[in-house]
Amino acid sequence: MISAEVVVELDGREVYRGESKSFVRNFGRILYAILNGTGGVAIRYTGSVSSASVQKPDGYTATVHGEYYVTAAYSRASGGTAMGFKAGAGEDAWGILVGSGSDPVSPTQYNLSTKIPHGTDPGKLYYDVHSVSSSYSDTSSYVEIARSFINRSSSPVTVREVGLFARNRYQYDAGIEVDVIFMVARDVLPNPVTVNPLGSLLVRYRVVLTT
Amino acid sequence: MSQPLNPMRGFIEIEVRDREGRVIQRGRHEMRSFTNNFLKILEAFFNAYGNYSLGYIATPASKATITAPDGTSKDAWTEAYSDTTYYYGGGVAMATRAGDNVDTYGIVVGSGTAPFNLNNFALATKIAHGTGAGQLDYDAMSLDDLGLDTSVSPPVYRIRLMRGFKNLTSSSITINEVGIIARNYWKSEKGALNDVTFLIARDVLPTSYTVPAGGSATVVVVIEVTMG
Repeated sequence: MISAEVVVELDGREVYRGESKSFVRNFGRILYAILNGTGGVAIRYTGSVSSASVQKPDGYTATVHGEYYVTAAYSRASGGTAMGFKAGAGEDAWGILVGSGSDPVSPTQYNLSTKIPHGTDPGKLYYDVHSVSSSYSDTSSYVEIARSFINRSSSPVTVREVGLFARNRYQYDAGIEVDVIFMVARDVLPNPVTVNPLGSLLVRYRVVLTT
Repeated sequence: MSQPLNPMRGFIEIEVRDREGRVIQRGRHEMRSFTNNFLKILEAFFNAYGNYSLGYIATPASKATITAPDGTSKDAWTEAYSDTTYYYGGGVAMATRAGDNVDTYGIVVGSGTAPFNLNNFALATKIAHGTGAGQLDYDAMSLDDLGLDTSVSPPVYRIRLMRGFKNLTSSSITINEVGIIARNYWKSEKGALNDVTFLIARDVLPTSYTVPAGGSATVVVVIEVTMG
């Protein structure tokens, strides 16, 4: 059995732990595109073997690929990923994102209600790197992705929603053929969490597998 | 206390027909048994970046160490960029759409009944593809994106995997377990850079299904992702 939870820590203290209830439609679509791959294509095969249509954060639709081979001639250093999450410090477009909106979750959502952008100005949070951890056994295992957010402004910032965004990207040394960011999960916190100046917030998405 | 929400679950539906095509056995069971291999691939996706500079090379850039069906540890990739000499790089992390007569990935069936644990890496006793005694003829996999169903609460997103198995032997064959094996395949013009298979789910069925000589079985796995 699989379960998922969201954990929020404020200044090192856990302030929320609850089931993540909110994969959205985009996740179902990329999962289908990955499973629908075949593998084993000819070595000169190019293009998509399996794809899906997702909704980007701006509301427009885009095609993502579960199995893809770069098409450009002389495409050195070519490849990519169907679903990358580990955005670096300061990158606030994918990975774990936080927002101030509280609109109820719906499966067709494609963005946070009101994203809190990266930065050090009032109303912004500093987006740190991600960390990934895991534990495996015969009867209970988990994998977790976490990200810290620091308030480097002079005003409190209130967080009410968290989201998980993926990046589908395929490139070669001279160009990018596919680059689509899309939300796969969103959770609204039951109570707002206020991050004071110099305070820090840690958000963890944990997926648990049990027998 | 309410029942914990299961964000991803599945159902296994099996239908057995005799040589005249009449349905002689049918059942539907909850699928409960994703393996650690599945979680490890998810971990490798969490570790994938997706924003490297052009010209970046890494085979792989993100990987999981999975246990292959033969029990050996192998790497499965979720992000990779091939070298500077060969073209047309790319791949897939967890493909299941195997072709006709291929029993190394996709839905597989077995006769074993060993209890499930998360470290399972193979069926207890896989029924191999073929027409010899104790074998079944594996059809091609088919997958369908059934999409979002908001008529149930909570809404679910369904993905259907399906495969047929024909008994072309002269004896009955009994199915006791169903698994899903995925294929991780990355290549460039140089050839396959990584090509491994790994079990991502296994369920021991509460009921045995006996496929008579000349008969067939259809196994359907519906994966449901629960939405908010």
